[in-house]
Amino acid sequence: MLHALCLGAIGNKSKKLFAHKTDIYILARFVHLFQLSKVSLSLSVALLRACADGAANHLYDITAGQQDSFLPDYISGDFDSITAEVKAFYTEKKCRLIETADQELTDFTKCLAIMVEEIKRQQLQDMRHRLGVNTGLEGEWCSLIPIGGPCKTHTTGLKWNLDNQVLQFGKLVSTSNTYEPVAQGDQRKPVTVTTDQPLLWSMGICRDRK
Amino acid sequence: SLLHIVIPLDKICLIILNQPLEKDSLHTLWSKDLRAGYQVSILNCPADGPSEVDDLRLVGFQNIHTWPFGQLAVVWTQQSCGALLRACADGAANHLYDITAGQQDSFLPDYISGDFDSITAEVKAFYTEKKCRLIETADQELTDFTKCLAIMVEEIKRQQLQVDTIVTLGGLAGRFDQTMASVETLYHALNMTELPLVVLQGCSLAYLLRPDMRHRLGVNTGLEGEWCSLIPIGGPCKTHTTGLKWNLDNQVLQFGKLVSTSNTYEPVAQGDQRKPVTVTTDQPLLWSMGICRDRK
Repeated sequence: MLHALCLGAIGNKSKKLFAHKTDIYILARFVHLFQLSKVSLSLSVALLRACADGAANHLYDITAGQQDSFLPDYISGDFDSITAEVKAFYTEKKCRLIETADQELTDFTKCLAIMVEEIKRQQLQDMRHRLGVNTGLEGEWCSLIPIGGPCKTHTTGLKWNLDNQVLQFGKLVSTSNTYEPVAQGDQRKPVTVTTDQPLLWSMGICRDRK
Repeated sequence: SLLHIVIPLDKICLIILNQPLEKDSLHTLWSKDLRAGYQVSILNCPADGPSEVDDLRLVGFQNIHTWPFGQLAVVWTQQSCGALLRACADGAANHLYDITAGQQDSFLPDYISGDFDSITAEVKAFYTEKKCRLIETADQELTDFTKCLAIMVEEIKRQQLQVDTIVTLGGLAGRFDQTMASVETLYHALNMTELPLVVLQGCSLAYLLRPDMRHRLGVNTGLEGEWCSLIPIGGPCKTHTTGLKWNLDNQVLQFGKLVSTSNTYEPVAQGDQRKPVTVTTDQPLLWSMGICRDRK
């Protein structure tokens, strides 16, 4: 949901700030904030895609003419919102339909529970973060700060990368780092980071686009 | 094992970092003038007995006689003091030069160290002409602060100076990663020197408590701010305290579980003195507190 909200929230801005490899939900009440371009962007990087009940109706509508390119991995819910036509369409396309009748929990919560299960089952959780740093709004500096304890860290896209090294106060802390230089006119590569413990990323941001 | 170190602090060395510099702090800490007195007192004592030294006072730097540039909160002693050594880390020299406009000659650092990518050509030329040592340190692995500290530790040894503590102005504000880099220097300092390293900026003080000794911090100067904190920045710390409003009873401080911020001092009856704060920890633990500029 956070990812979906992020897309909705930045719908008014001309650039996305991050491209995360993550999972995406399409929730019925946020779809009005989406534009097709952003949906396609998110879906193309998502490892798993799901709709919560009537969200499938919206997905079907918004991808009219190219529904085949936007098939969710599953649709879950109590199916009191999804139309018969949409349900039939996605069933025929072999999307999983998972009925969840629990009235204590919202469709969202249930959808999330299934996704968490799937992530575990498919072992998608390598928590590889990918940070887009090409908006022109980044400052010069960035840093990885192992606040709270040691972090075994691997990065790409930084000027000084970490090669499965342990960041730890008293031993190694990455401050005053910056981005891997690129040829004039080229785009910066995204920064990728994996860590085995929570790791604080901090970066400069500029108020004025360069 | 506990260390039996008593630190009657009246001799400091001063490092200035590349951040906005407060005139009062500078004047108070800089001068060898007999009229100025100050002390940073952090007493570490064994847990099994009271110390005979009664100079637990903390923190802040005050000018007991009025200086033209105002005053800062302090603890002070009878003795004369003034920084025995003063250094600037790279662009700190720019700030020093600006803030001492008209009297730069009275505020010449013993050395300026760094990679010299921040110091301006004008400032560099000025201090060079005044015979301040310029020490270029190109090591990209270490920050200007760490390198400046290393040189200072070396100089203290070389000149066989009796020093009580190393005070740093700046390092806690501005870019977040540079504040974190200052904390990292505090960690390195544990291995570089036995001397306490205290960082001051604005109304904040930071000091990294060594593990396995009982720290006793006097907080009765009237110069303390309202807040204090214990921050397990590098990892979990099994902590025991007295003298705080919210004490820790052999509890583990750890990010994600328990961090002591917005703490304060144990309340005392009107007119009574605050008890000292005592802290023991099994890993380096960051003590941070507010300091006031004017004595209450």
